[in-house]
Order: sequence, then structure tokens, then C-alpha cells
Amino acid sequence: MAKDGYCGKILRLDLSARTHSVIDTEKYREWGGGHGMGSAIFWDLVEDKTVSWDDPKNIVTLMTSPMSGTMVPSASGRVEVQGIGASGYPVRWFTRSNFGGRFGGQLKYAGWDGIVIEGQADAPVWVDIVNGDVQFRDAADLWGKDTQETQRSIWSLKDEEAHGWTNIGTSRDAGRTTQKPAVITIGSAGENRSSLGCLVHDAGNAAGQGGFGAVWGAKNLKAISVVGTGMIEVADPAGLFSARMLAKDEYAVAPGQQAAPNGPSIGKDAKPTLFYKRKTEVTMGPQACQGCINGCRPRWSDGLANESSCQETGVYTTFDALKHGAHTDASVIATDLVQRYGVNSYELSLGLKYLYALNQMGVLGPGLEIDVDLDFSNIGETEFAVDFITKVANREGIGEDVAEGFVRAAEKWGRLEADWASGVLDFPYWGYANHGYDPRSEVEWGYSSIMGERDMNEHGFNAHMWGVIYHMGAGLDVPVSAERYAEIVTSKMVPYEGDLSMVDYGTHNIYSESMAKLVVWQRHYTRFWKQSALYCDFRWPDLANFSAADNVGMTGDGEPLFWNAVTGDDMTFAEGIELGRRIWNLDNAIWVLQGRHRDMVKFAPYIYDKPVETSVVGPFYPLAGTVDGEWTYINALGRSHDRDGVEQWKTHFYNLEGWDAATGWPTRETLEDMNLAGVADALDAAGKLGGA
Amino acid sequence: MADTDKNASVEQDSAAQAGVSRRQFLTGFGGLGVGVVLGGSLFRGFLLPDEVVAIPASDGYLLVDSKKCQGCNTCMMACSLTHHGVQSLSLSRIQVVQDPFVAFPEDKSVLQCRQCPHPACVEACPTKAMHVDSETGVRTVDAAKCIGCQECVNACPFDTSRVVWNTADKHAQKCDLCKDTPFWNETGGADGKRACEQVCPVGAISFTTEIPLQSNEGYEVNLRDAGWAKIGYPIDDEGKINPATASAAH
Repeated sequence: MAKDGYCGKILRLDLSARTHSVIDTEKYREWGGGHGMGSAIFWDLVEDKTVSWDDPKNIVTLMTSPMSGTMVPSASGRVEVQGIGASGYPVRWFTRSNFGGRFGGQLKYAGWDGIVIEGQADAPVWVDIVNGDVQFRDAADLWGKDTQETQRSIWSLKDEEAHGWTNIGTSRDAGRTTQKPAVITIGSAGENRSSLGCLVHDAGNAAGQGGFGAVWGAKNLKAISVVGTGMIEVADPAGLFSARMLAKDEYAVAPGQQAAPNGPSIGKDAKPTLFYKRKTEVTMGPQACQGCINGCRPRWSDGLANESSCQETGVYTTFDALKHGAHTDASVIATDLVQRYGVNSYELSLGLKYLYALNQMGVLGPGLEIDVDLDFSNIGETEFAVDFITKVANREGIGEDVAEGFVRAAEKWGRLEADWASGVLDFPYWGYANHGYDPRSEVEWGYSSIMGERDMNEHGFNAHMWGVIYHMGAGLDVPVSAERYAEIVTSKMVPYEGDLSMVDYGTHNIYSESMAKLVVWQRHYTRFWKQSALYCDFRWPDLANFSAADNVGMTGDGEPLFWNAVTGDDMTFAEGIELGRRIWNLDNAIWVLQGRHRDMVKFAPYIYDKPVETSVVGPFYPLAGTVDGEWTYINALGRSHDRDGVEQWKTHFYNLEGWDAATGWPTRETLEDMNLAGVADALDAAGKLGGA
Repeated sequence: MADTDKNASVEQDSAAQAGVSRRQFLTGFGGLGVGVVLGGSLFRGFLLPDEVVAIPASDGYLLVDSKKCQGCNTCMMACSLTHHGVQSLSLSRIQVVQDPFVAFPEDKSVLQCRQCPHPACVEACPTKAMHVDSETGVRTVDAAKCIGCQECVNACPFDTSRVVWNTADKHAQKCDLCKDTPFWNETGGADGKRACEQVCPVGAISFTTEIPLQSNEGYEVNLRDAGWAKIGYPIDDEGKINPATASAAH
């Protein structure tokens, strides 16, 4: 039985030998869970950090946290995925992704804290985990099936009845469950090793960024199924229940009611974020990841695009609306298809806009300079979406062109320099698609992305932008002034608490040391609390929360309250952030060994040369900031980055991290201060120790 | 038979202590509120004329709205936590079963014990481990008396038995309306709080002391109100009317 949140065992799968072994979780307990453990395991097991993404020696980790499978609100269902990804430009970094649902809980109930995947099977396999029993199974019959068909096929092997208790094994007391096995699988995009390939679980949980679907495809790994009937012991059961009720009663909206217009926070209601407006003939019901305090996804009365929410629902809406003047089932079918084929909807959506722009420029299309078999006269129709998405997933025609990502496709077509200069190719950081929170406006999103290795996709500070927009759109006054927002947020940002300038998005402040503190805090906070403890990005951090009586969210108090109730630790919020700093430094050391240098850390050229004119909601991007010393909600559009300014900001950042400002490499002093002398030795041996 | 009579006599005393009136029996009988079996049964009940034994109704019932349930399983985790001090879906006395690919509202079922007026589980138990609680009328298990025969598990008339076989401790268990929740700082039970009801994020579980109508659908209720419609979810009983349409009609 799992004790104090941990199962004590990590499952190590050798696909080449089709054997498994056990790693003692205790060896990695100091890293907390999730990302921290994944990075440490990668560091230990992958000797050559420059190994290619499709090399059998590359490993993929799927890690839970001690809170997975428990009733900690919006932290029970996430699983952190790491390894060298198939995505990225100019380097495919050691990277991360993350998915929700119920896989993590089932894995814990089965007795495992995580899974380490190494090697390469000589033929397609899937892995069948039933409590402590692990079997490698032939996936020949599953290869070619979409993600839904794959999961149904696996379920049909195990649970032929829709309902009822299933006995595990042949012993009466081996375990019983009513739950379907939790399956994480790839679709045809992953099978065909497209960097747009995702891992998909249930109908709408996906690890998209990083291209881990392709990594699984290269390993000939189709799926992992897990069902567990065990239990997780927690240190303080009554305390955990009381903490959950505190979150529900004091920070969440009244059950089943509409919340005040919040951005992502605990104060959100159970409403899905939908980019399309569906026909009124259909209805929806709510759906949530395990343990969520208020879910963010729907299931529909026609079953189409079940569990899809937020960005994946917008994969085709622009062209659908342009063609039809409104959203039609074309948008829904496109969304359903990316889930079934396991295609990264972010990359696909921005990529299609790029292709369309090239078509309108007379460059790309049938018989044109870039001769592709796409009928752009039909864009917006269902047939185009099906044709395009299918080709991408199967690497046919245009799908082969973009299989290594749209930036690499542009480079292959000889268009990278021109299209990055003009901004037509809207992929600003490390070859990843612009998340829509443009680095020129919401600067912390861009800074965190270039200091990391991918589009960071963390909504902690972005949440307030949405809160302001929602209020303004509804004709309501924003409950807090910009200055009060700054006070609420910065009061939680240990060890820099109280420096209001950290969230001053005024143009005069975006290259300041305070703005560097914001990003440093974010990198450290998220590396532990969000990606290792696995609090969900759509509910945590809970900074400003308009469902709370005083608009002050639970962050700072909440994270350690739940962690300690489960683990029995006595961790403070600040100690968690400090552990995040340690994990972040380990990640950076891996990137340095992969070739990272300060000179590489930059945006795509258009971010410097072209002002941003629109936001995701049009001509307004409200962020807290000061004008002539007075706090207000500024419109952060109309500006571009200054190259020298960004370099100045980078120097602040490196100095705050204790890294060598000339190279961006960690110093021995900094690493040894965090008990990472072995990492310092490895960097030293590679000639990449900062300040040496 | 002497034992049966003795038991019946004890039950009459217990029922009197619990304040169950003749009127409640009659009212309940009309609404299938009491279990009625022919005499000779071994389980605890009232001996009525003509050798008919009646079982006191439960003091309360869990009602669920599976069309409102968000499928987060928090109720299940709350159940295992408060009763056993651990997190386990398999130990939960309320089960949420779902298929992510099935269309709403057939995608989820919330399976809770109905505290049946005629509890087949109680009747099936050879040792009286499964019994009617004398204070609350809740059908529950005295684990110390359970011999692990699983007769009660199999006797439950529903396709997913509401009696849970605890494979760890090897005894049957079922919903007791949180009467015995040693890992909770609240007082549970029919007169107290129920953990699943308390913790449900969307208010999809409620509690009633009125005896619900028994049907194949279970104790399903519509707990969706105007606030739910504002979020965008249907509030009609069948869940088939888009609230945008409903608003337009008004």
C-alpha cells in the first residue's frame, strides 16, 4: 500500500528486452514527485544528454505526485511526461508535457509512482498493467487504430460488460473495481513519428507539446493501460478532508452555480472553455479530471469531441467561420479528429494559418512553388479539415512536409528567414507555435518560454488578463484595481514578496530586474508546485480569485496545506519554491549539455521587428501596469521587443539565478549551494560550467 | 422460530427506542417504505399480524443527479478517506461509472446504495452481519460478524452491487450514510453529514429523509437549477433541452 502519498515503486520498462524492473521511489523522494523525479531519473539513466529523440537510449518518464489519486483539489489527475522530444527548433530539447484525466490515480492505485520507458520494441507493443502485474502485449492489431478505437479495443479485452464490478486476476481477493482501465495511447500521428503526435488518454486528455507521440512511435509503443484496485495512505486523512472543504467553501463558487468572471483559478465554475459555439440541438454535461474542484470540459449529446475544451476546440474555427459566417459542425469534427488521430492542435492550428497565408501569397498550393495537394478553395469546409488532418497524421503529402514541425518545414522550403521576419510564421520561441499570449504583450509568457525549452503554457499571471476581459465583456467593473491586483499577487511571491513592479507590464518596466524576478519566481513555482506536485495549471496558482470573499486566492497557504496533509511533511510554500529552483537548475544543466548558450536564447526576429497589433480578443490586451507612476490596466498592444532591452533583461535573470551572465551556464557555487555538486562536475567535465 | 420471535421482540423494542411510529410504518408501506417479508426471516424487523415482518425504513437516503455529476470521483475518494483513512476507489461505497466516448447523459452512472425498503442484502446474510441499524434504520455491516460468504454482495438486486467487497480486509461493507467515519472531524449519519454530499463540487448529491420512489433508475433526482443553466447545462429532467433554446423560448 502506498504510504503518505507514495507507492514506493517506479516501474521501469525496457521495451527492447520486453522486461520490467523496479526503481525504489525513495531514491528520488528528495525531488518530490512529477517533474522533479522525472528530471533526476533522466539525469541518472541517460548518460549522453545529446542523444536523439528517436534513439532507443532516450527515455520517457510518466510521473505522478504523492497527491495523485487523492482528493487534493485539481491536483489528483495530472501526469508529467518528460524526455527528449521530437519537437523544437533549432534543438530538440529535453522537454516536458502533461496530461489530465484519471491515469495517474489508476497508476497509484496499481502501486506505482511512475513509469520509465526506455529502449525500442522490435514490433508494436502495448503494456498492460494490472496492479503489480506488468505484461508486454502484441499491438499489431492496435497499430493503425485511432485513439478511441485503441482504448475501446483494450477495454473490450478486459471488461466486456459496460457496468459492474470486475474481479482482478483469478483470486477472489486480488481486487475489484468498477472502473475502466486508464489507457494512454498514440494515434496515427505518433505511429508515423510526426512531431505533431500526441499522447491521448480517454477522450480529451493529451500530452501535446514536445511531440511525445512521435517518441512513442519510434519506440514502437502503442499504449499503456493501467488498472489498480489498491489504496493510497495519507498522513492526515481528517486534515485532508478539512482542507478540501476549506477550498470548496472559501475559494470555490457555490456548487453548481455560475462564478464571477475569473481567469483560470480555483474560483472558476464548471464551465468548459469553448472556442466554438455549437448548434442548439445538442446539449452538454460536465466532465472533470479526477479530484477537480470544478471541471473544465464537456461531454456532448452527440458524442462528438467529448472532453475537448479550450484550444483544441479552436483548431478550425477561424476558417469555419470565414467560410460559413458562423461555427458549424466542421469545427467540431476537426476537433474530434485531432483527438482521434492524436495531433497537436496548437501546432496544427497555427500551422494551417501559415499555410493559408502562403497560399494567399501565391507561394503554396497545387502547382505553385511549394506544390502541395490541398484545395484551399475549400478551406473552412469539413472535407478540407478531414483531408488536411488525415494527411498530417499519416505523413502524406503536406503531412510529410510538416512532420518535423512548421518551422523546419519553412526552413526546408527556403522561407524561414523571410517568414520569420514578416511574422507570417507565428512561431516565436524554440519553434513552438505562439500560444496567443504574445511575448511582446504578455512578456512573462515569452520570457519563460525562451528561458525554458518550449511554449511554457502556464496561466498563473495570464489568468488576470482573462479576468479583466471577462468583466469588461460583461459590462462589469473589475473587482480589484490594477494596484490591488499587484498587491494581492506579489504578496504571495516569496522570496520576492511585496515588489509590486514584478507585475508592472508597462513598457518602461519590461526589461527591469523586477520583471526578471517575476519570471524567476514563475520558473521556480511551477517547476515544483505545478509540474512536480502536479497542481493543475487551470486552477493553480490561485492568485486573485473573485469567488473568494476578499478576492485573494488560496495560493501560498493552499499548496503546502494539501501537500503536508498527504505526505506528513512540514514543507512551507517557500521551501517548495526552493525545491523548484533546484529542479529548474537540473533542467538547465541538461539543456547546457545539449548545447544551450545565452546567445541562443532569443525570440524569432519578428518579435523584435514588428509591433503586435491584436490579441486573442481583438484590439485590446489588458494587463496591470503603471503609467507615469499610476497603476492602471494598460493596453499592452502596439509594441515590439527591443533587442538590447531583452539582453538587459536576460542579464538580470542570469544574475538572479546565480548563473554565468556571459554564457547562461550554471556556476559551481550555485549548484553546490543546492547540493548539486555532481551536476557541476558533469558540466565541468563537458567544459560548460559557468564562470569557470 | 423461537429465535425469530425473540429477534422480533428485540426489534420492536429497538424501534420504539428509535421513535418509529405505527403511522410511519403505514405511510412507508404505502410508498414501499418498509421491507415486507413473510415470517420466518432471520433478520431484524417488526412482527406484524399474519406473520408479516416489516423492517424500519432508513432515516435517510442519498439522492444523485448523474446528469449533473462531473465525474471527478471526489465523492468516491471522500468515502474511502472518511471511512478507512485511505484513498481508494475500490473501497468506496458510492461508485461513479463512466465512458468518455459515450454521449451525454448516458456517459455516467452514479451508483449509490438505496437503503432498500426490502433489503435483499440483509435478508441474505446468514450471520446478521448485514443488518438494519437500530438507531438510524441504515442497512449496514458489522464487519466483526462478516464471514466473507459474499451472499449479500450477490443478493443486491442491482447490476452493480451496492455492497462492496473489501478485498483488503475481506469483509462486506456498504453505505452507512457516514455513521461510522472515524477519519472525519464531522459527525456523520442520517442526523449528521454525509462526506460525499458535502464534498461534491457541483452539488450533484443530496440527502432526504423522505422515502424516495423506488425505480430501476435509482434515486435519481434533478438537482439542476437556474444557476446550472447559466453555466450552459440543461436543467430539464432528460437533459435534452439546450438552455440557450430554453432562454429563447422564454
